[in-house]
Amino acid sequence: MAIDSKDIHKIIVACDAGMGSSVMLASTLKKQLKGTGVTVEHTPVNSIPEDADVVVCHTGLAARAKAAAPGKPLVSFQIFLGDPAVTKLVNTIKNGGTVDA
Amino acid sequence: MRDGLLDPRAVLLHESAADRDAAIRRCGQALVDVGAVAPSYVEAMLERERTISTYVGEGVAIPHGTAASKEDVERDAICVVRFPGGVDWDGEPVTLCVGIAAAGDGHVPLLAALADILLDPDRARTLREATEVSQVIKELS
Repeated sequence: MAIDSKDIHKIIVACDAGMGSSVMLASTLKKQLKGTGVTVEHTPVNSIPEDADVVVCHTGLAARAKAAAPGKPLVSFQIFLGDPAVTKLVNTIKNGGTVDA
Repeated sequence: MRDGLLDPRAVLLHESAADRDAAIRRCGQALVDVGAVAPSYVEAMLERERTISTYVGEGVAIPHGTAASKEDVERDAICVVRFPGGVDWDGEPVTLCVGIAAAGDGHVPLLAALADILLDPDRARTLREATEVSQVIKELS
């Protein structure tokens, strides 16, 4: 799935419980994307909202996220803070381009 | 910070644990001891850890329960447990655990503060090496 950066309005960080690491990553992303108009929320993986444009989750949850939100671009990461995939997403949103994930 | 979220009695700075599961049990017990969770929550923390590691970097892990175990949470609470001797966390050396019990969003500001700290290696080291309870609470507020 590919999406142009200008069509990204809402990013969902999905987690199993929505209690720990997804909260931390969402707060970091929010800060990094401040001023871009993109909203960032965290939810349990089985309640990803319909209007999410991009889903971000741990590689260990990617299969469940894909099943829960079919057809949405999915960025998966392995490191909770400072993962290159997440950094790339932030840079694409800021500088323009396509998120192909 | 919201009152009661990080109880000073749940900040334990001189603990030791033989392995990851023992460290998680110690964190869980700290949350039980301050009345934040039912004892069954500790098993959910172990189960959650087996699915995906809660290691977040800079020698810090943030063990917490599963979505289903939110029923066992009496109130949102955090514990900070330091293992100066280190714990092997699936190959990563962990010296600080921030245990989480949350049914709502009361703990979100504290985790946001923790994320900021962990992205700054100097502040992360200060937190890892803290030996005073008041210092830990100040860093996370």
